Amino acid sequence: MDTTRRLWIGLGLLLAVAFAILLAMGRDLYLKAPPMPERVVSSSGQVLYTRADIELGRRVWQSIGGQQLGSVWGHGALVAPDWSADWLHREATALLDIRAQRDFATDYAHLSPAQQANLDSQLRTEMRRNQYRSDSGVIEVSADRAQAINAVAAHYQELFGTDPALQALRVTYAMREGTVDTAEHRHAMTGFFFWTAWAAVTERPGGKQSYTSNWPYDPLVGNTPTSSTFLWTVFSVLFMIAGIGLLAWHYAAYHRKELPVTPPPADPLLGLKLTPSMQATAKYFWIVLALFLTQILLGAVTAHYQVERDFYGFAISRFLPYSLTRTWHTELAVLWIATAWLGTGLYIAPAISGHEPRFQRLGVNVLFVCLLVIVVGAFAGQWAAVMQKLGLDYNFWFGHQGWEYTDLGRFWQWFLFVGLLLWLTLVGRALWPALRRKDDMASIVGLLFLSTVAIGLLYGAGLMWGENSHLSVVEYWRWWVVHLWVEGFFEVFAVAVISFIFVKLGLVRAASATANVLFATVVFMAGGVLGTFHHLYWAGTPTSVLALGASFSALEVVPLALIGLEAHETWTHSRATPWMERYRWPVMFFLAVSFWNLVGAGLFGFLINTPMALYYMQGLNLTPLHGHTALFGVYGMLGIGLMLFCLRGLKPALPWNQELLRGSFWALNIGLALMALLALLPMGVLQLQAALEHGYWYARSADFMGRDLMHLLVWMRVPGDTIFAVGALLLSWFVLRLWVRRAHG
Amino acid sequence: MAEYYLQIRLAHVILVCCSGALFAARGLLAIAGAAVANHAALRWLSYTIDTCLLTAALMLVTILQQYPFVQPWLTAKVLLLAVYIVLGVYALRRARTRQARIAAYVAALLVYLFIASVAWRHDPRGIFAAYGGRQPVPVARSA
Repeated sequence: MDTTRRLWIGLGLLLAVAFAILLAMGRDLYLKAPPMPERVVSSSGQVLYTRADIELGRRVWQSIGGQQLGSVWGHGALVAPDWSADWLHREATALLDIRAQRDFATDYAHLSPAQQANLDSQLRTEMRRNQYRSDSGVIEVSADRAQAINAVAAHYQELFGTDPALQALRVTYAMREGTVDTAEHRHAMTGFFFWTAWAAVTERPGGKQSYTSNWPYDPLVGNTPTSSTFLWTVFSVLFMIAGIGLLAWHYAAYHRKELPVTPPPADPLLGLKLTPSMQATAKYFWIVLALFLTQILLGAVTAHYQVERDFYGFAISRFLPYSLTRTWHTELAVLWIATAWLGTGLYIAPAISGHEPRFQRLGVNVLFVCLLVIVVGAFAGQWAAVMQKLGLDYNFWFGHQGWEYTDLGRFWQWFLFVGLLLWLTLVGRALWPALRRKDDMASIVGLLFLSTVAIGLLYGAGLMWGENSHLSVVEYWRWWVVHLWVEGFFEVFAVAVISFIFVKLGLVRAASATANVLFATVVFMAGGVLGTFHHLYWAGTPTSVLALGASFSALEVVPLALIGLEAHETWTHSRATPWMERYRWPVMFFLAVSFWNLVGAGLFGFLINTPMALYYMQGLNLTPLHGHTALFGVYGMLGIGLMLFCLRGLKPALPWNQELLRGSFWALNIGLALMALLALLPMGVLQLQAALEHGYWYARSADFMGRDLMHLLVWMRVPGDTIFAVGALLLSWFVLRLWVRRAHG
Repeated sequence: MAEYYLQIRLAHVILVCCSGALFAARGLLAIAGAAVANHAALRWLSYTIDTCLLTAALMLVTILQQYPFVQPWLTAKVLLLAVYIVLGVYALRRARTRQARIAAYVAALLVYLFIASVAWRHDPRGIFAAYGGRQPVPVARSA
C-alpha cells in the first residue's frame, strides 16, 4: 500500500471517529443543557417569568442584533456588557442591599466587614442552590431575591427603552434610543437575561459547579474556576508540547528526502486557454473588493461608536446603529473572503480539467446574481429587524437571527446553502474529467474536490437549529459553521489549492504535493474537528466538552508551530525560476498567510485557548485580537493571494503595477499589526487585569470601558486602521486599473 | 478623553510643525534635483507623521465636538488640506518642469501657512479675518 493510499484511509478513519464523537457529545450536551423552566416564582407565589416570557425574550434579544449588542455567556460583541454577567452581579448586589436594609437598616456598603461577610455567605448559598424542580418545571426564589430580580429587570427595561436618566449609559454601550420597541418585549427580554444569569450561577444537580462551569468569574457569588478548568489547562499544554515534538520528529524523518524539481523553462500557465466561464469570474473579484472596502468602512464606524454615538458630527447611529454596523462588518468579512474562494474555485476548475461544460458560464453568472440578492436581501432584513420595523413573526426567517457570523435570516441561510450547492455542482462538473483521469494529479484534484464538497455541505449545519432551540444547542451547531466550516474545511481548501497551484506551475511533484496535503489535512483535522468544543466551554455544557475541547484545540496549534517550514518552502518556490516573478505578489500574500497563521491563529489564538485563560478572557478585547489577526491575517490574505493568482491568469499579458501591490501588501500587514499591538492587545490586557482583580462583569462595565485610558486606546486604532484602509484602496486601484487601462488601450 | 486634551493638542501642533518642516525640506531637495527627496525612508517618515497627525486631529474634533462640514473653520481646513496635498504631490513628484515644481512648492507652503492661520484663529478666513474686524470664534470646551 503506497503512502497516499495509507493517508487517505487514515484521513477517512480520523474524520469518521472525530465526527462520531462530535455528534455523540452533541447528544450529551443536549441532555445536560440548563433546564428551561415553565415558571419562575417567588416563595410568596408571585410569577416572575413564564417559559413563554423567556422564549419570547430571547427572540426579542435576537431581533435587536442578539450577540451583536453585548454578549450572553461570553459570546458576542464587546462594547455593551455581557448581559449574563451584568445581570448576575446586579442581582447579587441588589439582594445584598435588600438584606442589609432588612437586617441592619442600612446599605450593604456601610456594613462592617464581618457583617458583609455574613451576608456574602448567605448570598452564595442562596444563589448557587439549585431551586429548579424537574417534576413541575418551576424555579422558586425567595421573596428577597424576587425583589432583587424585579429591581434589575426595571433597570434593564429603562435601559432598553428611552429613559433619559440612562441615556449616557446607552451612549457608552453604543445602544440606540428605544432599542426594544414595546414594554412587553422589554419585560420578556429581562426574563431571558435572568435565565442566562441563573444558569451561570446555579449548581448542577449533585455537582459543585454551575451549568456554565462557574463562568463568569464573580467571587461575590462564588463563581471561581473549577478544578477541571485548571486540570484540563495543564493537560492541554502537555498535549500540545507532545504534538509539536511528534510532528518535528515526523518532519525530520520523512520530509525533504526527495530530489529537487527542475522548474520548466517558461510559465506553464501562460498557454492556459481562458474559457468563457473562467472569464466570467472576473466580476466575483470586483465584488470582493467592493465588499472588502465596505467592511473596512463599517469597521471604522463600529470602532468609532466606542467613543461617541455619532460619526464626526453625522448622526448616522439613528439609522445605522452599532449592532447593525457590527453585524455587517462581521458578515462581510466572511462573505468577501468566501466570494474570493468561490471565484477561485470557478476559475480553477476548468483550468484543471481543460473542459468547459455546457452552460457553465450561465451557471457562474446565475450564482453571482444569487450572491448579490442574498447580500442585499439579508442586509435589508437585518436593518428592518434592528430598527424594530419587521416584527417578531418574520424576524427568524427574514430578519436578524442574532447569532454572530450566522446572523442571516433563515430564508437567506437556505438561499446561501442552495447557492453553495450550485457552486459545488459547477466546480464538480468542470472538475469531473480531471477526477476520472487516473494520472498523478488525480489524488490532489480529488482532495480539492473533497474540500469543495465539505464547504458546500457543512454550511448546512447552520440550518440545524430552530427558532426556539435551546441556547446551548444553537451554540453547538453555530460553531459547526464558524469553526468546522471556516476554521476547518476552509483551511483544507486553502492548503489544497496552494499546493495545486505549485504543482501546475511545475515547481512541486504531484505525488509529493498530494502526500503533503493529505498529511497536513490529517494533522489539521486531528485537532480541528473536536477542537470545536473550545468555543463551548461555558455554553451550558458538561465538563466532558471542556476536557475534549481543551485537549484537541491545543493540537490545532501543533502544525502552526512548524509553519515556518511551509513558509520557507513557499519562499523557495518563488525563487526557483525567473518567471516566478510573475507570481511574486500572490506568493507574498501566501507568505503573509503563514506569518499570520503563526501570530494570529497560533500565538493570539492559544493566548485565549486554554480553559483557564478563556475563563477570564472570553469576550474581552483579546478575542477580537485573535479574530482580526486570524480571520483577516490568514483567510483574508489567502483570499487576496488567490484573487491575484486568478487575475494573473485573467490578464496574462498585462504588466502589473508593482508599486501599487508593494504598497498594498505592506500597508495591509503593517496596518493589521498596528491595529493589534497599539489597541486590541493593550486594551485586552487591561481588561484582563480588571477581570482578575474585580470580576468579569467589571472588565466589561461602563465604569471600566468608559475610562479615558480605554478611550485613548480605542483611538490608537486609527493609525493602524488608516494604514490598513490605504492598503485596501491601493489593491482596489490596482485591480481597477487592470480593466480600465485595457478599455482605454 | 478630555483629560488628555492638552497633550493631544500639543502632539497635534508638534506633528503639524514636523509635517510642514519635512515637506519644506523635501521640496527644497526636489527643486535642487536631489533624488533623496523621494527616498523611501523620507516617504515612510512622512506617512508616519501624517498618520499620527490625522489620529490626533480626529481625537480633537471628537473631544471638542466640533466637526468638519459643521463648523466652517474646520470645513475650510479639510478642503484646504486637500488642496495642499495635491500641490505637495506636484511639488515633489508630478511637476514636469522646474518652474512648475517651484510654483507648486511655494503655493503649497502658502496654503499650509494659511491652514495654520485658520486653525489659530478658528475662523475660515484665517489671517484675513484680521482685516474683517471680527473676533475669532472661541473654541467650545464642551468635552
